[in-house]
Amino acid sequence: MTASRPAHGAGLLAVRGVSKRFGGLQALSNVTFGVGHREIVGIIGPNGAGKTTLFNVITGVYTPDEGDVELRGMKVTGWAPHRICRLGAARTFQIGKPFAALSVLQTVRIGALNRIESMAAATARALEVLELVGLADKREHLGKNLTVIERKRLELARALATGPALLLLDEVAAGLRPNEIQEMITLVRRIAAGGVSVLIIEHVLEAVMRLSARIVVLNYGEVIAEGSPQSLVNDPRVIEAYLGEAYTLA
Amino acid sequence: MSGRLAPGLVAVAAAAAVPLVAGQHILTALIVALHASYLALAWNVAAGYAGQFSLGHSLFYGIGAYASTMLYLKLGLTPWAGMFAGAAIAGVVGVLLALGVYRYNVRGIFFALVTLGAAEVAKGLADNWDWIKGPVGILLTMKAAPGEFFFLRREPYYYVALAMVVAMLVISLVLERSRLGQHFLAVREDEAAAEASGVDTYRAKTIAIGLSAALTAFAGSFYAQFYLYISPETVFTFEPQLTMMLGTMVGGAGTALGPVLGSVLFSGLGEALRNLPFENTRQVVIGSKLVYAILLIVILIYLPGGLITLGRRRS
Repeated sequence: MTASRPAHGAGLLAVRGVSKRFGGLQALSNVTFGVGHREIVGIIGPNGAGKTTLFNVITGVYTPDEGDVELRGMKVTGWAPHRICRLGAARTFQIGKPFAALSVLQTVRIGALNRIESMAAATARALEVLELVGLADKREHLGKNLTVIERKRLELARALATGPALLLLDEVAAGLRPNEIQEMITLVRRIAAGGVSVLIIEHVLEAVMRLSARIVVLNYGEVIAEGSPQSLVNDPRVIEAYLGEAYTLA
Repeated sequence: MSGRLAPGLVAVAAAAAVPLVAGQHILTALIVALHASYLALAWNVAAGYAGQFSLGHSLFYGIGAYASTMLYLKLGLTPWAGMFAGAAIAGVVGVLLALGVYRYNVRGIFFALVTLGAAEVAKGLADNWDWIKGPVGILLTMKAAPGEFFFLRREPYYYVALAMVVAMLVISLVLERSRLGQHFLAVREDEAAAEASGVDTYRAKTIAIGLSAALTAFAGSFYAQFYLYISPETVFTFEPQLTMMLGTMVGGAGTALGPVLGSVLFSGLGEALRNLPFENTRQVVIGSKLVYAILLIVILIYLPGGLITLGRRRS
């Protein structure tokens, strides 16, 4: 599961020399990495390392000041988020953004309509995805009435329903109980097994370490290390920046 | 759908039979209620489904009223056709306004204020435009000319108003079940999440305003033909906007039946208040506004989803 792969596995997503500045804050500087087909890649780093900014650059929420993002062989720098979603990269939001007044089924169907024109077919697809994430019996519930893990599952389902080649997961395990984290890991593995590449930002190191074949470490907006989970836990730069006293690999 | 079609058909048939028993006075009140329902439903397309809380829909209402009237007076075009021309003009104006406003990411309360300003500007222009008789307004002559949308009795107006509401209900229901309608809902709920789901929010919002504007204009043309007098003071003011909002918010925004329910309630209330022993018109106006305001506040606090949510199971 955690076999090491060559760095910069490109093919699906290539981020090249991306920098983003907010006023006096250099959120990202010269970030380069890639995600290959059928690969699970993790991005870790302390708070404020630039992880979510990187997601926002990849998905078109922010345009980078420098550098390029290439998805499925196309330069998508500066594209609107919906175009990037249509090309095949879908993200979840860290703070679950359910469509509060819509039902679980409606929410996931909106995702499914990304690639499916007919409402009936989109409904069928949404039900399949809800079955996969284990929310099928909650399909008539409103987004605002869900628990934390249900919201995370709903976010995942909405993103997955858009039919992505690359799924970007922003903190899907944060705030979950240990048994729920295990469920989420199983779920992400099942999705990846279906042929979707996954890029994960995660605070819960257990989740990202167990899921990812390769991990990119960010600190102060820079890539300070990249490699297999095992190689990184012994990397002094990573330990200094982030792992420190908190984490020991079980 | 088919299970819910039958009650709908019965309701329409019953409404169609009303003129057989109702007098001219009651018909007038019902026409006012239907007109308000139509307006509320048209505004609901943008505000209720797509969450674009425009306060400037009087602009489109006025365009509809003036377009069909001027085309009739200057070119002899029947208002039956003129109302479609008015809708087209209002639709284009709505799209252009939306393209500009959304280009600069104007949202929420700022969007409401910009649209309110647009309607005010339109009123100012109309007041100062001699070709359309400025603040004096335009009087149409009452006559029997069905081909030109003029009738002496109330019944034909009632049927036109009823047909407009039924058409607007069908449009709302079709929209609810369409991809575009789902995109509207996504935009209303959360634009960032909508974009992340592949929804072109700029396009969806622009279509919502354009469609809603065009539909609103039809009501303006109807107003002109029914009351036979239009002026900037009657069609470009906040009054039509208020009618749309009260009915929609009280009945239930983002639903097809809610705006009708709310509008009928308000129209009925207005009619009832008029029959109370007030001393003069001024008291009627002030008194009814007070009652509207209290009712609106009470409903928005205790039933934020509108009266329509009373009939629903709470989940």
